[in-house]
Amino acid sequence: MIEIRHLRKVFDDDTIPLKDIDITINDGDVIAVIGPSGTGKSTLLRCINMLTEPTSGSIIVDGQDITARGCNLNEIRKKMGMVFQSFNLFGHLTIIENIMNPQITLLGRSRQEAYDKAMYLLKQVGLASKVFAYPEELSGGQQQRIAIARTLAMDPDIILFDEPTSALDPSMIGEVQSVIKMLAKSGRTMMIVTHEMDFARKISNRVLFMYDGYILEEGTPKEIFEHPKNEITKRFIQRLSSLTYRIKSADFDMEAMNDELSAYGEKLLIEAVRLTKLSLAFEEIVMNNIVPNTEGEPDVLVKVEYSEKMDILTMMVYYKGEVFDVHSSDSTLFLDLLAEPTTECKAEELEGDALGYEHMIAIKFKWAEEA
Amino acid sequence: MKKLFLILIVAFAIPLSVFSASEFTTIEDLNGHDIGVQTAVLYEELIMDRVPNTTFQYYTMPNDMILALTSGKVDAYLIEEVSFGVQKKNHPELTVIEEPAGYINATCIIGENEKQDRLLSELNQFIADSWENGLLDELYDYWIADFDPVNDTCDVGNFTGENGVITVAVEGGYEPFSFISNGHISGFDVDFICRFARAYGYTPEFFEVPFEAIAPGVESGKYDIGMNIVVSAERNETGTLSDVYYTTPIRLVILGDEESDLTFFQQLEQSFEKTFFRENRWKLFVGGAGITLLITVTSIIVGTLLGFVVYMLCRKGNVIINKITNFFLWLIHGMPTVLLLMILYYIVFGSSSLSGTWVSVVGFSLMFACSMIDMLRVGCNAIGKGQFEASRALGYSENQSFFKIILPQAAQHFLPIYRNEVVTLIKETSVVGYIAVLDLTKISDLVRSRTYEAFFPLILTAIMYFVLTAILTRIVRLVEDGIDTKRRKKEKILKGIQEEE
Repeated sequence: MIEIRHLRKVFDDDTIPLKDIDITINDGDVIAVIGPSGTGKSTLLRCINMLTEPTSGSIIVDGQDITARGCNLNEIRKKMGMVFQSFNLFGHLTIIENIMNPQITLLGRSRQEAYDKAMYLLKQVGLASKVFAYPEELSGGQQQRIAIARTLAMDPDIILFDEPTSALDPSMIGEVQSVIKMLAKSGRTMMIVTHEMDFARKISNRVLFMYDGYILEEGTPKEIFEHPKNEITKRFIQRLSSLTYRIKSADFDMEAMNDELSAYGEKLLIEAVRLTKLSLAFEEIVMNNIVPNTEGEPDVLVKVEYSEKMDILTMMVYYKGEVFDVHSSDSTLFLDLLAEPTTECKAEELEGDALGYEHMIAIKFKWAEEA
Repeated sequence: MKKLFLILIVAFAIPLSVFSASEFTTIEDLNGHDIGVQTAVLYEELIMDRVPNTTFQYYTMPNDMILALTSGKVDAYLIEEVSFGVQKKNHPELTVIEEPAGYINATCIIGENEKQDRLLSELNQFIADSWENGLLDELYDYWIADFDPVNDTCDVGNFTGENGVITVAVEGGYEPFSFISNGHISGFDVDFICRFARAYGYTPEFFEVPFEAIAPGVESGKYDIGMNIVVSAERNETGTLSDVYYTTPIRLVILGDEESDLTFFQQLEQSFEKTFFRENRWKLFVGGAGITLLITVTSIIVGTLLGFVVYMLCRKGNVIINKITNFFLWLIHGMPTVLLLMILYYIVFGSSSLSGTWVSVVGFSLMFACSMIDMLRVGCNAIGKGQFEASRALGYSENQSFFKIILPQAAQHFLPIYRNEVVTLIKETSVVGYIAVLDLTKISDLVRSRTYEAFFPLILTAIMYFVLTAILTRIVRLVEDGIDTKRRKKEKILKGIQEEE
């Protein structure tokens, strides 16, 4: 069990990545730490094994305060594994030595014991064929799996993962995540800092949302991802999946929305052409037709979603009042757009919507025609 | 192949250079032409007014001026008549302008130390007595007027030494005043001081020092007596000089018409015999190479260890130690090697009895330690912080991390530089002649000054440096390969382990 009390870290340049952190890590916990960049997630993790020395506060590991002077950190660290973003395998040693040497030097195991353990773990992470390879000869995903095996070989009580997949090609993230998932299922205590929300949700039993040096919200994956209480958490969770706009006046600021759209597109690598199409469709459907046709104050909800896997950009428009048939538009530009084979449009009637919307129009923009 | 060809061209060019008939008959004829002069003898002051447009070229060794003259680098050079007499024997093509450039009076300079007053009065008394009883004239006739470079010797033993040792700085490559003959120091200056020492109960110890270093060395108290100091106003201000012990005219040497009647191959053969076999001179070369090797190897070992220890102290992050180290790095790196050695020899160890060889070892060890610190810094910084963090996170202690993880990787980065530093060091040691160390280069200088031959001493010395360099770099390379983990065989990695099937 690790208890963290009033942990605070001030760097030399006066930035304060951790302001006041209080948390208890129980045995068997799989904790995902999420939050925007630069909010102290990695610093928290590095403080737990004292790679970064906290300015004040205490970290109590099994009853022993490891921030106290004279604490034998080397002994504590042997029980805490750490997996780094940049793998940090020892470049001058073969894979087998990377896993064997720490066991021999630090745990006093015999060479044979260390070898057997290493081979067992290499098989587990699926890299038993790379025994004599050097780290630089392996892909990032393979290196990270070796790094996990190296950590496991020390039989740690807890494993700290510092953004284990951030430095990997998208194609390699899966292999590393599946190894971590396997560990999570085996009941090990783990703490993972990650930007992969899906992954965090699937493997953890506790999620910490960190913001500005504090733990802003804590709960089960379901609580944090589906029903976040705090407004900042909510915005963070949602922004990652979609953009949402509620148009309640005819003076809606389209400029601001376009700026946000292009930032969203940049982040998710969506081509400008598709975003322009989306913007055109929005203007024609919402601003030129639905809003002017509404009696009194308009109330339109627009959601923009992008699915990376399918490579489809979707805009959903929820509205009340008179039904608008997209094909009745008098803009030839918009009609041409609708006629394109990569555009797919469909209208639906809604019943019993929580917010009282009656109709929905969904337009999907694909990149290329399906073969 | 191309290099060999170049060397051959040089080899043939030296003896083949064509001697043209002289166009100079008076000193004024030389106005506007280059004139060679030995550094620090100040003969140029004698004729400067008469040849206002002349550029003077300075040479450390008198015999280098012969080469400069025959190869056309200068049109004349200034030298004492006595030395010219010796040179003329070996180089019949040399001649002089009839009018002497002037006369010089030579004295001894007495060291600034507690023996000074006593030595000065004793030496002046001895000089006065020797003029009186004709000893100085006798010596002048024996060594100078009637010099026989092969057979003339002097007694350099039989000292009673009841009044202690006196250290004497002589040029060592300056016939007939001081030169190496049959492996021993000999010459007019040497004979004169030996007689003085016997008369006054001293045991002289001779140091071969370049001319320009004699006066500074003596003034700093390093040597008790420096020989063959030409009297000038400036010298009298700073140094304590004895009375004049010889006077001789200064000559301007130019090329005459005489040519050697030996064939090219005879010349070459004679040159080879003179350089290596006459007086067993090859032994000098072997000794010089030994000294160079001693200085190099000791400095590498001491420097490496010292650099490593200082780096480890700096690594702990102590601000004061780092500041001091950086200051010394800046100081030592920013100084020419010769200067560092001279400062160590004349100032830092000025009053100690540490020999030039060991002062060189100290100097080069310091220099190598500085390079070592730099190499370790660069090498270890090249290893990412991640390696260190990963090992600490596993539970390695600070020292374990350094020795097991960081250093083996850093070594791969800095050992190639280390190899270059070793080569640089070997070459740099060639300046130790400045502080009276008889290393390979200095020996080559001394032999050249005796034989008046440049080709074989220079080429042989170059070859010996090549061989030394090759041996030492080979050793470093073996170490490099030995610690390169990537060269290991699979069997070695899994030594003593029962592999799974």
